[in-house]
Amino acid sequence: MNEVGYVASREMKIGFRNPWAYSFTALFALFMLSLLLINAQGYVEGYSGSSSTMLNLVLYLLPLMALMLGSFSLTGEKEEGNWELLSTYPLGTGAFLAGKYIGLSIVLLAIVCFGFGLSGIAGWLIEGGFDYSTYNRLLIFSICLSLFFLGAAMLIGTIARNRWQALTMAVGVWFFTIIAWPAVLIALLGTLPYQWIKPAVTVLTFLNPAELTRLFTVVKLGGGSTLGPEYYQWMVWIQSPWGTPLFFLVMLMWIGATQGIAYYQWERRRGHA
Amino acid sequence: MSSCRSLWLACLLIAAALWLSHERAIAANESINLQAIIDQAKPGDAIALAPGSYEGPIIINKPLTLRAEQEGSVQLHNSSLKPAVLITADHVAIIGLSLVDEGLKDEPTILATGNQASLEGLHIRTVSMGIAIRDADDGAVSDTTIHWAVNGVRMADKGNGIDMFNADRWTLTNNSIHDVHDGIYLENSDDIIVSGNVIERSRYGVHCMYTKRTIIEGNEGNRNVTGAMVMAAKQVSVVGNTFTKQSENVNSQGILLYDAHDTEVADNTVDGNRVGVYVEESTNNHFRNNRVRYNFIGVQLIQSSGNTLTDNAFMGNVADAQAQGSEDNRLMDNYWDSFQGLDTDGDGRSDLSYAINPFFQSIARKRPAFQLFFQSPGMIFLEGLYQTDRERWTEDSTPLLAPLDRQLHRDKSGDGVKTGLMGLMLLGCASLLFYKMRRRER
Repeated sequence: MNEVGYVASREMKIGFRNPWAYSFTALFALFMLSLLLINAQGYVEGYSGSSSTMLNLVLYLLPLMALMLGSFSLTGEKEEGNWELLSTYPLGTGAFLAGKYIGLSIVLLAIVCFGFGLSGIAGWLIEGGFDYSTYNRLLIFSICLSLFFLGAAMLIGTIARNRWQALTMAVGVWFFTIIAWPAVLIALLGTLPYQWIKPAVTVLTFLNPAELTRLFTVVKLGGGSTLGPEYYQWMVWIQSPWGTPLFFLVMLMWIGATQGIAYYQWERRRGHA
Repeated sequence: MSSCRSLWLACLLIAAALWLSHERAIAANESINLQAIIDQAKPGDAIALAPGSYEGPIIINKPLTLRAEQEGSVQLHNSSLKPAVLITADHVAIIGLSLVDEGLKDEPTILATGNQASLEGLHIRTVSMGIAIRDADDGAVSDTTIHWAVNGVRMADKGNGIDMFNADRWTLTNNSIHDVHDGIYLENSDDIIVSGNVIERSRYGVHCMYTKRTIIEGNEGNRNVTGAMVMAAKQVSVVGNTFTKQSENVNSQGILLYDAHDTEVADNTVDGNRVGVYVEESTNNHFRNNRVRYNFIGVQLIQSSGNTLTDNAFMGNVADAQAQGSEDNRLMDNYWDSFQGLDTDGDGRSDLSYAINPFFQSIARKRPAFQLFFQSPGMIFLEGLYQTDRERWTEDSTPLLAPLDRQLHRDKSGDGVKTGLMGLMLLGCASLLFYKMRRRER
């Protein structure tokens, strides 16, 4: 446990001194603020035009930030030879990865909290801003999204040899999960027999954390009826008392799985070294 | 023994009737037999009922006025399977009674088949339909509250609040209807005025089927499946109504027009519904000066043509408009808040038109499983790429740059301070972390 704490605090030190962290903070805060101002008449409450825009902004920005911060941190250890040095210490791979993940999430969540904090105060001051429960839902949405994609980032950082490879992969994963997702699914599944489409979309949605988190939040914001009669059961499930625990369970499994694969890969390489 | 009893009863009735003709009032008593009082009255009489509990069911087969001395103090109970009140004669008025129906049954609480009936200030607890009007014209229902009496009944198994069949020229005003199937259901009934009613938590607020010239004016609908549903109807006018929060059901709408023609939909406020205004297979309708705000979809046009939408304001909707198979509609001078126009000649209207992209709508209709992508970032990106056949899209040729109506602010709940404090806390924690972890000079 001490080992995890040590790696995490080291990661936080590196993370908070990284100029990237500051530029991402500035970028995120600026975007949140400008959205609030564009929406001058908009009081953000429930699922509406303004909260949907905000969801989409967060979906564009946060996964990319998480993927880059996370994967660069891991590949950095390889490139700079720190990992070889750390390998000589009695430090377990699991503790190393867990510490990395915890440290990075604290850095990323600080960025998210800074942006949300600023726009929350600004909204209050300009007397528009957010409804309290909507604000909390958007915050939880952003936190979950960060944690999900940090999991994916650990995997990318494991597979990639250097920062360049990591950058290519990060942008690829981001583009695929955020932008290209509907296009790819419509193209691929459009050819399937009618009754297979919905199960296929359902399974694939669980594999894409961006979609999963977005849909969870849309339903929680009261917009579940936009999904149509096909997904009525989803609405019922997510709104039921089991909805939130189930979602967090899926999240935990997802992060656990990515961390598990990463662990296996690092262990294998360590064995070879 | 029994003859003695009936003799005694007859004496009592005669005494009551004598007293009635003298005083025109009935003293408070234990469950008075109202039918007997009615049977004794002469056509055209006005009976004032003293406070108390009366026993139904009753049949009114002559012109009569039945009035509670004090509104709400006269209760009529009905535990039979018949309607609590059956009106077969013309010119019957019932004023200020409370009707309590018990059990579960098929017969309505009030059934009227007589013309020129007037039902005023009633409180109805129904277990079937509240008021059913059959083959009767020229009546009025006003200031009446109707609500469902038993818990745990599915909405589909409930009856309608006011149910009219083949009844013309009625006015239904200032009624309040809760938790029923359809609040006001009109079928084959023409020239009906529905105004100032409040309908909540029911299936459809006002539901017109095969009606003509219905006027739906100044009503309020809240948390129903659909606020106003106009189906297979002609020349209906839907004016100055407010429909809010019809959003829970996957088929919810503020105002729905299906196979409706020559409808006038004006000055309505449609807030926070799944779809604000839904129009399918309807022609030649006019939508003017409506405020359509904070809905998931502002307006949806499906297979509809020849409709006019002018001077409406679409604000804060997740998607302002969807249209499919709807060519030849005239959209002009509407305000769409998601659209950034360009006005070079300063007339307040954009010189660029606002076109409604049919891409998502057509995909979701063909394969409903893809409805999941509603307003996802990837879908918005894809819609931006899809520009074919643009000249056939539904479009507003002269969208307004600013809404006509400046009263746009949504009512705020008073927890802005809470959000501000939460923000302060978040910012404080994050800043502290940044400060503590900063690079220190040695």
